[in-house]
Amino acid sequence: MYGLNTEKPRIMFIDLNSAFATTEQQAHPHLRGRPMGVTNRISKHCCVIAASYEAKALGIKVGMRLDEAKSICPDFIILETDPPKYHHVYQKICAIMQDYSPNVKMKSIDEGVIDFHGMDDLLKDRSLQDIGYEIKQRVRDEIGCWMRINVGIAPNRFLAKQAASWHKPDGLDTIDHRNLIDYYKSIELTDLTGIAKHFEARLNATGIFTPMQFLEASADHLKRFVFHSVIGEDWHNRLRGHEVDGNPTNKGQVGRQFVLDLRTNSDADILPRFHYLCETTGKKLRYNNFDARGVLVWATFQTGDYWYKRKMFKSSFYTDRDIYSRALYLFNQRPKHLYVTSMGITCYQLTPSARSQYSLFDEVNRQEWLTTAVDEVNERYGTFMIHSLDTLEGKRRVKQKIPFGGTEYFELLLKRA
Amino acid sequence: MDPITPLNERVEVVALFRKNLDVSQICLPHKMRYKNQEITFSELGMRHPTSKGKRMIHVFDMSDGVNDYRLEFDAEGLTWTLTAILDGKSL
Repeated sequence: MYGLNTEKPRIMFIDLNSAFATTEQQAHPHLRGRPMGVTNRISKHCCVIAASYEAKALGIKVGMRLDEAKSICPDFIILETDPPKYHHVYQKICAIMQDYSPNVKMKSIDEGVIDFHGMDDLLKDRSLQDIGYEIKQRVRDEIGCWMRINVGIAPNRFLAKQAASWHKPDGLDTIDHRNLIDYYKSIELTDLTGIAKHFEARLNATGIFTPMQFLEASADHLKRFVFHSVIGEDWHNRLRGHEVDGNPTNKGQVGRQFVLDLRTNSDADILPRFHYLCETTGKKLRYNNFDARGVLVWATFQTGDYWYKRKMFKSSFYTDRDIYSRALYLFNQRPKHLYVTSMGITCYQLTPSARSQYSLFDEVNRQEWLTTAVDEVNERYGTFMIHSLDTLEGKRRVKQKIPFGGTEYFELLLKRA
Repeated sequence: MDPITPLNERVEVVALFRKNLDVSQICLPHKMRYKNQEITFSELGMRHPTSKGKRMIHVFDMSDGVNDYRLEFDAEGLTWTLTAILDGKSL
């Protein structure tokens, strides 16, 4: 009736429960069973970026400030993040997943997808549920007894993720055409991955208030009146279990941002941090083997205002010096009387690097050789062994965060840890 | 606020190297001498590798049932360093 995908479920979604907090509890036996969380830099106003299940049960949520969390639970324990530890767990989970299929895609450092299409002969009549339970046990045996994962099985990635968050923690659920309708009847619109308050309001405005109404809406309605683009058609298919999220995406930009540790409009305080952001952006750019042509810089101010400036340049660039000079030219145009609260730089219009070609101009070659030499020294002795003098203060202040989205910078991050 | 006390002290460690075990268990610190006290470990929390430049460091999160300890083994310099203690009694 709804045009549901009746294919046998062959997508498995693995989600590590409260990843960073559970990993810390695994490493520190005294923290097990206690309300605890992790943050990037401990301070009174720091933000909880991962909370243990014991903390979540008390009402402590991810994103909550430490003083709020402490007011809920005075015994709440907070630790600073330890990226190499999380990377180790990430690698272990990757290795376990890759034992079952060559088609594994990590969506972030704590969740990944195993695609079992074309694997029927190798599975030898084993059910995906059976494999799911085996993976759960292997995670306990090979990483640690405290580690728990959620497993979701479905015909497409969207429903598999929904299944993985159905019964937390330590759940294993399957969603297919047989129980999909019952599942939609049991949840709210905002329980759907990708539907937050903003999209909920859009759906509500066209008379859609429940997942069932969302399912019953036509593709044309979703396209023309809700999402105003092809995204509406994607949602129409996604909700029915058809795959729309499996295509690889191209990298379009790289950048860094930073929430300032002090409120100031002084160049003496801001620019070392800004220069440091430019250098780390340059490292990301070269790590991906890209050149860029465009630079965007932005800042938010204590007044609540947002400012940005962008520019496309005639020639491509990738050295730290080129990035900083271009970004600084733009950043100096900000309203300098306002106190900066956060700032960022993004390089865009990326093209595969043409660094292997020598320039006709010796000055250009010398810049390239210098950049390569500095990168090689940093590669050997630790990233930022050599850096610009005026980024010294920035290096001390700007802490590397956990890459929440993709995992492509994890190796780069670890070299700095 | 942070229950972990950072340290950077070289310590004497007795480690066991075993065969036929999973890689996470193949090398384990058994006990260490710290402040003239002999501390015998009863549980491995986690072992993970990391690096300082090109130097390979193996990090062992150990517990003696009273406190949790973070020990780092420098595979190039062959040294053991106690880098943190989590005081179990303070929790």
